[in-house]
Amino acid sequence: MNLLAQILINGVLLGGLYAVMALGLALVWGVLNIVNLAHGAFIMLGAYLSWHLYSYLGIDPFLGLPLTAVLMFALGYGLQRGLLNLVVRAPMFNTLLITFGLEVVLTYLAQLAFSADFRTINPTYAGNSIALGPLVLPQARLMAFGVALGLTAAMWVFLLRTRLGRAIRATAQNLTAARLYGVEPRHLYAVTFGIGIGLAGAAGGLYGTVSQINPYIGAMLTAKCFAIAIIGGLDNPFGVLVGGLVLGIIESLAMLYIGATFGDVASFGVLVAVLIARPSGLLGKTA
Amino acid sequence: MSNRTNSLLCAALLACGSLATSPAAADDIVLGASVQMTGSSANTGRYYKDAYAFAIEKINAAGGVSVGGEKRKLALKIYDNQSDVNLSVRQYTQLIAKDRVALLLGPFASNFALADSAVSEKYKVPMVQGGGASDQIFSRKFKYIFGTLAPASNYFGSTVKMLKELDPVPKTVALLYADDAFDVSVAEGTRPLLKEAGLDIVMDEKYSSNASDFNSLLSQIKSNGAEVVLVAGHETEILNFVRQAKSLAVAPKMYSFTVGVPSEDFRKALGADADYAFGMTAWLPSTELKDRWFGDAAAFAKEYKAKYSYDPDYHAASGAADVEALAQAIENAGDTDPAKVRDALAKLNFDSLYGKIAFGEDGQIDLPQIVIQVQGSELKAIYGPGGLIEKPKYPMPAWNAR
Repeated sequence: MNLLAQILINGVLLGGLYAVMALGLALVWGVLNIVNLAHGAFIMLGAYLSWHLYSYLGIDPFLGLPLTAVLMFALGYGLQRGLLNLVVRAPMFNTLLITFGLEVVLTYLAQLAFSADFRTINPTYAGNSIALGPLVLPQARLMAFGVALGLTAAMWVFLLRTRLGRAIRATAQNLTAARLYGVEPRHLYAVTFGIGIGLAGAAGGLYGTVSQINPYIGAMLTAKCFAIAIIGGLDNPFGVLVGGLVLGIIESLAMLYIGATFGDVASFGVLVAVLIARPSGLLGKTA
Repeated sequence: MSNRTNSLLCAALLACGSLATSPAAADDIVLGASVQMTGSSANTGRYYKDAYAFAIEKINAAGGVSVGGEKRKLALKIYDNQSDVNLSVRQYTQLIAKDRVALLLGPFASNFALADSAVSEKYKVPMVQGGGASDQIFSRKFKYIFGTLAPASNYFGSTVKMLKELDPVPKTVALLYADDAFDVSVAEGTRPLLKEAGLDIVMDEKYSSNASDFNSLLSQIKSNGAEVVLVAGHETEILNFVRQAKSLAVAPKMYSFTVGVPSEDFRKALGADADYAFGMTAWLPSTELKDRWFGDAAAFAKEYKAKYSYDPDYHAASGAADVEALAQAIENAGDTDPAKVRDALAKLNFDSLYGKIAFGEDGQIDLPQIVIQVQGSELKAIYGPGGLIEKPKYPMPAWNAR
């Protein structure tokens, strides 16, 4: 019983981390209609950025998150204005091609710049845990989970309550009408992509404190984020949170009851099941 | 475009293509290899690239190899297989069919060696590889594959022997392994050893290669109370395993890992958390291992570190030994003809920086594994063929009591 409870805790905390990783992907996908295959590579860059801030400047990875996010936002904004804007209205295939290319370039530049050595962001408290009777709550994961909840709520408020957030949603829903109301789509798209990449950067910082970083983690993370975005749906940041939690819990349970090689089988199995039963995601509006 | 971006771009383009370390002269003996310079296995793959180049340079500096009374230099033709098995098979085919290299050096990792040795067998060009230890590679009665890593099935052999001499003697064991050729061989070899030693295997679990989340497995270890945890996996997984063990406060009496512990990079990434981790190596840079070209293993390690600025581990030593084995076999055969070199390889028996190089019937070398442990910031040899060398730090204390 304790084991099951512990596994559920692990799953929930893992799910929170998954959710932060997928938030940016879902936003960019929903608003710009770009499935960003380089999303995982941006998470990797964020992780390296956070690692550098921690190792060379001694900035705590959690306190450094806003800085990482802002720097990554700038990178995302620039990339959208300079490169991705070329494919915003283009067929899906072009956007996949260009983001795939970006993923390859970023990965190999990262190896060139950072080498293939493994890195970990290891502040003194990274391995600490809080004991709850027989159960254990890993501190760094708990903090990452808190950040996940905070970012999801912040995204929700931003999209629903602020002028900029409303403009972003308006552009996604009806470009012509949004333009008539004075929305400048080029700037707005770049801001959206920037926010997506900023979120990826923050997720990378969190990932580095609980796992290890190397230039090749991106592709695997993109696949996870993609599954979460589909499971949760693209309309609502809370959908992504639910998607992340569902995936985290199901993976952990599958590894306990079916076998440790079945984590991915289970998560992509859920993806297929959701696509069949609720194609717009668990929290998505039914078409 | 600025100069800096230009040079970055050039470097990026170079990194994508193949790299020939030195242009081969007409009568050079060209050795061909395809290793992981990029991709998920690049971290260990580069040891082979460096070791091959290093050994060839050293042998050439000594005049090269004498073939029928005439001194000839060695050259290296090396491709980056991007950690992709299918690409490495194509590259080995290209090395033989198009580049016409004389002889082959191996890739890193068992699943690569398993696939690539089919190419060397087909074209009857001997491949000496120091990156694949899986018994599967050598169980197919292939005649052109030779391996300088000790058999995977015996990686935990010395560790299991050591368990009997620990105080208190552990009773329960958890065996975890990744689902690839090498690690499955390790597990298959370790299971009977554990049973023979009278240990109770309370957990025997295969996990996916490149898994990043070990919380589920660690919680199970905590719940079944395994005293000894043996993990056969890859360095990335083992880093995650140790970090997550700490964050879940899972501290068995000891844990041991097939990879990672001997490499400097691993200990750096974990910092103080690497303490107490056991591992194994078939090679330590000792002055007792005499070598024709380098003097001895300690001198090799020193020169290697000076050149590449990291300590060589057994992968690098094994890679250097592969080049030496080919050089020695060419001299013994007095020819570079693949069939003659192959026969000379089979009969080889010489002392090298890596130990005695003599291949068994199946083509694999047999070297005992020395148990090692991280103690503080040092890597100590704990248990060898002659028994205990140094007192192991055992049992491992709880994480909050360190």
